Amino acid sequence: MGHYRYAIIGNSAAAIHACEAIREVDPNGSVAVFSEERYRCYSRPLISYLLAGKIGAAGMYLRRPDFYRFLEIDFFPGGKVISVDPAKKALKLSSGRIVYWDRLLLSTGFEPFIPSVEGLSSTKYFTFTNWDDAKKLMRVARGPFRALVMGAGLIGMKAAEALHARGGRVVVVEKAERILPAALDPVASSMVAERCRAEGLDLITGCTVVQVRQDSGTGGVAVLEDGSEVEFDLLVVAAGVKPRSELAVEAGIPCLGGAVRVDLHQRTAVPDVFAAGDVSAALDKVIGGPQVNALWPIAALQGRFAGLNMAGRVCSYPGGIPMNSVEFFGLPVLSAGLVNPPDGRYRVLSRHYEDGSYRRLVLDGDRLVGMMVVGAVEGAGIFTSLIREGVSVRGFARSLTEADFGYAHMSRSLRKRRFEAELLRGKQVLGFRKERI
Amino acid sequence: MKRIIPREEYCTDCRLCEVYCSFSHTQEIDLVLAYRNGLLKNGRVRVSSRGPVSFAVQCRHCQEAPCVLACLAGAMGRERESGRVTHDPSRCVGCWTCILVCPYGAVRRSEDGSGVVSKCDLCPDLAVPACVEHCPNGALVVVDLEGDG
Repeated sequence: MGHYRYAIIGNSAAAIHACEAIREVDPNGSVAVFSEERYRCYSRPLISYLLAGKIGAAGMYLRRPDFYRFLEIDFFPGGKVISVDPAKKALKLSSGRIVYWDRLLLSTGFEPFIPSVEGLSSTKYFTFTNWDDAKKLMRVARGPFRALVMGAGLIGMKAAEALHARGGRVVVVEKAERILPAALDPVASSMVAERCRAEGLDLITGCTVVQVRQDSGTGGVAVLEDGSEVEFDLLVVAAGVKPRSELAVEAGIPCLGGAVRVDLHQRTAVPDVFAAGDVSAALDKVIGGPQVNALWPIAALQGRFAGLNMAGRVCSYPGGIPMNSVEFFGLPVLSAGLVNPPDGRYRVLSRHYEDGSYRRLVLDGDRLVGMMVVGAVEGAGIFTSLIREGVSVRGFARSLTEADFGYAHMSRSLRKRRFEAELLRGKQVLGFRKERI
Repeated sequence: MKRIIPREEYCTDCRLCEVYCSFSHTQEIDLVLAYRNGLLKNGRVRVSSRGPVSFAVQCRHCQEAPCVLACLAGAMGRERESGRVTHDPSRCVGCWTCILVCPYGAVRRSEDGSGVVSKCDLCPDLAVPACVEHCPNGALVVVDLEGDG
């Protein structure tokens, strides 16, 4: 038995930022964090860095070891929640223990989607979404080995790069015609593919795995659509992710396309139950409606707004936009908003630069709605903010592709608004060279 | 808490802020030696210019800092007392998510080959940040904001 003011299920980006936000508003209300994993809060996106050997285990943690104690939060590692009862305001742990709460946050994240492929269910395969997944791969991916990765999305490609760094011969099979089809445009996609191939990754696109057979241990053979066979020592399935909404579904909390539906305060349709992060469908500013964007910065922002609202500071989630920052073999690619516009009403500006960089900007009338930069990524966040805030780019749209585009290219009133608002609030000028204020 | 404010009316695009920012973040005591040893890079302030318009841009140390929220590695933080947005290079993995979300374009990939980002640290050891101190024209000022930090 136990009772908490706030109960949080999950322990990743949304949960951690919710904890911090709750403590900003309510220093005393009791908080419990339930995680089915054994780890204190760590960064899931860093598993590819861990697998590649770029960081060690100590680099995985997001906060200092005394994070929970410092915030006076009860942390339950291995505390798997098996059911939620919104009517009784209770949750049940796998140990059988019942915990009561006043306000609940569902931040259960996502899980890998496993496609139905003949023989896959009887084959030993790996997924790549959490620390344990990385550990399992690290045990197997040693010495010379051959890896097959199903899916060339962000997870698949980062897994492939990391396995390559561990000395593996890696084949990636993607059913779309190009790698990273959702995150990148065709030009950037081919730039990344070219880099990956030059480094030795074998990328097979426009093709699916139709059958897998286990030989011995973790090894086997995959049969592709075109009849060719790929032998592997280990198989990674990275065919997409889906929200872990089973607790919500069983509790009768309304969902949308498998994700928990939330309002602008991150509230579900059930009183005192909130949801945030990859499990929730919150406002997406690009499509103007609810959408799951299973992305770290969005989960963090939603978690923050969930926490603030749970603790009683009513404030509206400003909406998120899809965004990604990835790097493959030293080639960075940053994108935000709508990169691949669905129809002809959008205007696309794109440009290649002498240093090999590439930039693509998508406009809807006077508004920037999408951006992608490859190579020289400095200043890309200015585009992201123009997209997020829906700022009119009338008057400087043509400058957007200039290599040194920055605030100097914007209208005076626009940059004044951003830079000098602080000056107006400033009480005391502390230091400057000449008497000119 | 301190904030650096650019005043474009007085900026002449001389970029001494960039020079002195780089210099103050080296161990070198002589500017010319620092230059000759190739240490004058990795400036954390950049002048944005176009025609007659120019002004220096560095980390604004936002109260609701998007980089702190978005950082995958817990490398970006915010000091409660000073309001400074801090970057811990030992935790940074170079994922560039902060570059993706910084509305001011004020976070850059470090030019020293370390594979991490660098940004303005408000020169915590100096009374007045180097860029402000060495601006010949008062185009950068430090103000003290109250009520936050």
